[in-house]
Amino acid sequence: MTLTLHTSSEHATERLGTRLAALLRVGDVVALSGDLGAGKTHFVKGVAAGLGVPEPVTSPTFNILLVHMGRLPLYHFDLYRLEHAEQLEDIDFWGTLESDGVSFIEWGDRFPEALPQDRMEIVIHREDVDTRRLEINPSGPRSSQLAVDWVAACGGPEVSA
Amino acid sequence: MRPTTRAMTLDDIEDVMAIERVSFPVPWSEGQFRDELRRQGEGRRWMVAEKDGVLVGFGGVAIFGDEAHVMDLAVLPAHRGRGIGRDLLLTLMRQAVAGGATRLTLEVRPANSAARALYASVGFVEAGLRPGYYSDTGEDALILWTPELDASALDAVAAADAAQDLVLAIETSCDESAAAVMRGGTELLSSVVASQVDFHARFGGVVPEIASRKHTEAIVAVVDEALVEAGIGLGDLTSLAVTHGPGLIGALVVGVAYAKGLALATGLPLVGVNHLEGHIFANKLADPGLEPPLIALVVSGGHTALVHVPEWGVYHTLGQTLDDAAGEAFDKVAKLLGLGYPGGPAISRLALEGDPAAIAFPRAMMRSGNYDFSLSGLKTAVITYVEAEKRAGREISNPDLAASFQAAVIDVQVAKAVRAAEEHGVKAFCLAGGVAANAALREGLRDAMSERGIRFSVPGFDLCTDNAAMIAAAAHFRLRRGSFLGLDAEAVAGLRL
Repeated sequence: MTLTLHTSSEHATERLGTRLAALLRVGDVVALSGDLGAGKTHFVKGVAAGLGVPEPVTSPTFNILLVHMGRLPLYHFDLYRLEHAEQLEDIDFWGTLESDGVSFIEWGDRFPEALPQDRMEIVIHREDVDTRRLEINPSGPRSSQLAVDWVAACGGPEVSA
Repeated sequence: MRPTTRAMTLDDIEDVMAIERVSFPVPWSEGQFRDELRRQGEGRRWMVAEKDGVLVGFGGVAIFGDEAHVMDLAVLPAHRGRGIGRDLLLTLMRQAVAGGATRLTLEVRPANSAARALYASVGFVEAGLRPGYYSDTGEDALILWTPELDASALDAVAAADAAQDLVLAIETSCDESAAAVMRGGTELLSSVVASQVDFHARFGGVVPEIASRKHTEAIVAVVDEALVEAGIGLGDLTSLAVTHGPGLIGALVVGVAYAKGLALATGLPLVGVNHLEGHIFANKLADPGLEPPLIALVVSGGHTALVHVPEWGVYHTLGQTLDDAAGEAFDKVAKLLGLGYPGGPAISRLALEGDPAAIAFPRAMMRSGNYDFSLSGLKTAVITYVEAEKRAGREISNPDLAASFQAAVIDVQVAKAVRAAEEHGVKAFCLAGGVAANAALREGLRDAMSERGIRFSVPGFDLCTDNAAMIAAAAHFRLRRGSFLGLDAEAVAGLRL
């Protein structure tokens, strides 16, 4: 299943994240990909706002993982700087994914084999200066439910095979 | 001559009473001092300070098992503010610990700010209130306690006060494993960074990366090398120091665990240093005359922050990046232009040949009225520009793009730095962190500050990047404040300044 959402501004992308935040449960894993400047961090800013995170969400590129406390703990990963999947072990990647919060993984497509079976992948495509197309690919029962509920909450699905 | 301290005797009572009477609204009586002195050496330690044969201060502690109570402490008014009270207090603390105490407590009037500052400087913290404690005014007393102390910690503080502290510092907050040995907070005996070329050659080209494993492999050799270069052994040290945040958690834990292990094995006290504080102290190493109050701009791959430092050890973060750090923006734009890693040096080299006014990139947050930065929009503007030019079939001038991007970053940093310096009325400004190696940023800030008569400091290139010398320098000032890290302390990825 692939679902699609469109946004026409940075703020609209953030709002999609905020809508998703309301539906999140402990253990949910979302992998984000898309070119530099696509808006991955902006999307997570929206999620954080929806979870009630008080501080600004900054890029985790340098620190690889930044943790924010909201309604649920938000684990914000960025695998941009990693070179080997084995480095994930050093940052307790899998332990964190299975702990007490929700995980958003920027550049999650770098090590697809390292991601859990049931996760929601979002590819953010830059269509134009301001417009983005979000391609949403859930890969298991929980992520499929989450994706469907989220897209419905955003105004209805646009499903392709 | 520096004042000396010795045990109080009955012969001192007249001088002691004179100081007591001018110091407190409700002075102790002579009889009380006589009673106390009868127990001198048995649960009581009363000391006096003498300068040129004159008794200028005194103080006493009562020891009850593993707790000690500071009973009294006073200095002749004409001799205050010269560290005599602090010397006396440290002496009392060492006596109390030698007598079996592990923690000290005392009461102080909330309005007595000079005394409170003195107590805070040796590690006392507020733990509660004793309502209506002072009979003359009915004022509450603040109850202060020290954390758990040991003799080696107090010896370390005394050594730092005399600029004789010998500190081994460890830094593993990100990609580099580093260790350094320093005496007295300024005299660098060794500084080893595991990505240095000679070190690579000897250890078979190990490049520590973000993996904890790589730090684990390097840390023992790096510390040994630092000790060997300094020509000392672990037994010569007075204390250990380690970066305990902020940074990459998997990297930080290696340094913290190793430092705690060393502390446990050697009995040396351990000081925890904030990585950003270390970067600021790199300036103190490069420019020993630098004194607060000052404003520091810390810019690196992971940080972009403007910090007001009213005095060493006190940091107010005025603003920071809301999205990407400056170094990260440089790296990502360099990648976009196919310039390789690290991006900072590549862009600034290319920018030398370009026109900084060629492309009008946005100056985000320039007029926001606060001190926060935003660099994500600039990154997107560069991407948008590249796409538009490609679509139009125009050739992009990489030098012009690099110069224009760099100018957009620097203009905002300089504008905010100048405003912070003027608003806080400081006469000193320092630039710190890996991006401080950027020549255009250095020159931009240097010109802006010198125009306004503000002293400008920036460390040499080797002290801009991560190193342990700056951690040792910061540790010296933490030692003088009696600030230690317990062995139960953990690395904190998001440690605040």
